[in-house]
Amino acid sequence: MNSFLNTGNFIVRPDECILITGAAGFIGCRVVNSLLKLGYRNLRCLTRPSSKIARLEEVLAAHEDTSRVRVITGNLLSADDCPQAVRGAVVVYHLAAGRGEKSFPDAFMNSVITTRNLLDACVAEGKIRRFVNMSSFAVYKNNGNPRRGLLDESAPVEDHPELRYNSYCFAKAEQDKLVAEYGRRFKIPYVMMRPGWVYGPGNPGIHGRVGIGTFGIFLHLGGGNTMPLSYVDNCADAMALAGLKENVDGEVFNVVDDNLPSSRKFLRLYKRNVKNFKSVYLPHALTYCLCRFWEWYCKWSMGQLPAAYNRRMWHANWKSTRYSNAKLKSRLGWKPAISTGEGLRRHFESCRAGETHA
Amino acid sequence: MLKVAIVGCGKIADDHAEQIQRIAGCEMVGACDRELLMAKQFAQRFPVKKAYHDLGEMLSDAKPDVVHITTPPQSHFSLAKTCLEAGSHVYVEKPFTLYEEDARKLLAFADARGLKVTAGHDDQFRHSARVVRKLIQEGYLGGPPVHMESYFCYELGRGGFAGALLNDKNYWVRKLPGGLLHNIISHGIARIAEHFTSDAPTVIAHGFISPFLRSTGETELVDELRVILSEERGTTAYFTFSSQMRPSLHQFRVYGSKNGLVMDQDQETVIKLRGQRSVSYVEKFVPPVQMAKQDLSNAATNVRRFLKRDFHMKAGMKFLIESFYRSIVEDQPVPIPYREIILTAHIMDQIFTQLKSRPETELIASSFETALR
Repeated sequence: MNSFLNTGNFIVRPDECILITGAAGFIGCRVVNSLLKLGYRNLRCLTRPSSKIARLEEVLAAHEDTSRVRVITGNLLSADDCPQAVRGAVVVYHLAAGRGEKSFPDAFMNSVITTRNLLDACVAEGKIRRFVNMSSFAVYKNNGNPRRGLLDESAPVEDHPELRYNSYCFAKAEQDKLVAEYGRRFKIPYVMMRPGWVYGPGNPGIHGRVGIGTFGIFLHLGGGNTMPLSYVDNCADAMALAGLKENVDGEVFNVVDDNLPSSRKFLRLYKRNVKNFKSVYLPHALTYCLCRFWEWYCKWSMGQLPAAYNRRMWHANWKSTRYSNAKLKSRLGWKPAISTGEGLRRHFESCRAGETHA
Repeated sequence: MLKVAIVGCGKIADDHAEQIQRIAGCEMVGACDRELLMAKQFAQRFPVKKAYHDLGEMLSDAKPDVVHITTPPQSHFSLAKTCLEAGSHVYVEKPFTLYEEDARKLLAFADARGLKVTAGHDDQFRHSARVVRKLIQEGYLGGPPVHMESYFCYELGRGGFAGALLNDKNYWVRKLPGGLLHNIISHGIARIAEHFTSDAPTVIAHGFISPFLRSTGETELVDELRVILSEERGTTAYFTFSSQMRPSLHQFRVYGSKNGLVMDQDQETVIKLRGQRSVSYVEKFVPPVQMAKQDLSNAATNVRRFLKRDFHMKAGMKFLIESFYRSIVEDQPVPIPYREIILTAHIMDQIFTQLKSRPETELIASSFETALR
């Protein structure tokens, strides 16, 4: 029995075909690893033609009997590639997304249009037992949540994601809507996975929830806030289970680890373990006022500055909030294989090695 | 109220919508994209009345007075023609059309129907570009330009547009006759075209694939271009496009028989270069002080514009759109003379024809020569 697996029945046999989109990505290749650990060998790993697949190849090399694992290239924007990718698959893990796109149309195209194409192919294929959609904490609307309130799966999602002025949030919120719509209209059984900040070797050293570097100064904005961390291997384990466990169709799962550190603690550990730099702490009341002022100024000046900072963003990123992984544990039987302490150690080690920088 | 519609809901359409919103007396009645979801996301984020995926339906249903065409350039000609046939004026993003011949046909077609057209050469209407134009019109150069230097560079990063371009061999930019250059150099060429009087200046182009791009395995995209242009009356120009030189300039230098001007698009500054020299050592002490004074003055002007909420990144686009709309409503001349649009297309045609006539091996050789120098 694997460490992250407790109990429960699976809806897929080990010899049945599973498609993983974004399989060469930061989380994707770890999902492949998790599935291999669970004994699934008939995996179809879809990567972009431009993807670097060294990380995926490393994962495959670490397992025996991967002869039935296929690494295929394709573009989800192509209506021809999607049916080929989906053909014969019974579970789809959809991790491919437009990350790091500042432009709204680009983010939308690489997240929503691609998802629509994939879902259309799933509808046509007609054999899909589970569509696991990679969502994000970014879609949650935290405005109504009281300070230090709990943000769990019942929290409302952004009803007007365009007002957050964050292309990633907008695209992910629209992607979630689309998946839910296909679930309703075409009976595609789906599960939404919403991780917090997925960290680990290969992802940026410091998340914007901790603070932002600007004009040579690091502004520490998180303060005592709990960081919704999810170590990449733990997140991948949760993803893998979401595609296999029975009786979770239509469910949403937040993915965070246990013993989450505060933003202040994370920053202190980062400085101690990776590199020291000067930072200035801005209290929450001040950052809220600054976001409000920035929002007002953008409106008043008719967009002379981009509306990147606003109250919706503050609520989502910098308001003191608590998180829970209770549903993940109870419904999927997941438990974190890597402790937060060990995860942070590995993360900082990779930062030190220069894989990523703050 | 002028009814405005947009065709093509990609990245540049956002810029258009942001500027249109700032203009009084117009409303966005429709947004159209072959992919309906793209049109819908656009309409969700901007005050657009309806999203369409069929241009014909939008034209007949929304009946726009003006249509902005913000699709990839391959479709500019046919879409613009369809809009003109439906009776709409047209703003076509740069590059205006793929070929000079198409540009001529389209403008003649619009003229025959009494409709107006403009090209998306919005950088020509930035604050600094307008200052330069005014100074030249006032005779600061002491006559027509003797020589011009236009730099229009592009830093090839790994993300966004460049990322898609470098990683995707089927990316639409690669399929343009002039590849990467075709999608970018219009602004820099238009600056020269504005001051040429000839319809067919001499063009000598030299292009190659940079050693950097070559090292990534690239064999098609020309990302270094140098052009010499001249016309009968004696005016000459250099055009430079580079993905490698730093700083990555967007600059226009124009020299007359009396004085010169340097416009920096990135800094939004204009520097006057006086033609007369001071005597002896005075030349070594006074001009630097005068330059410093000009720099300070430029900085103060920019701060003043910012405080007056008149310093948007796409201020030039707003000015061009507003001028175009005014030319429609008040039946005034269009902001960009058609001659300039055609000449820009002509020069670009000449450049791409010359680059195409050189075999790829020569391009590779050029890049290695450059690396060795």
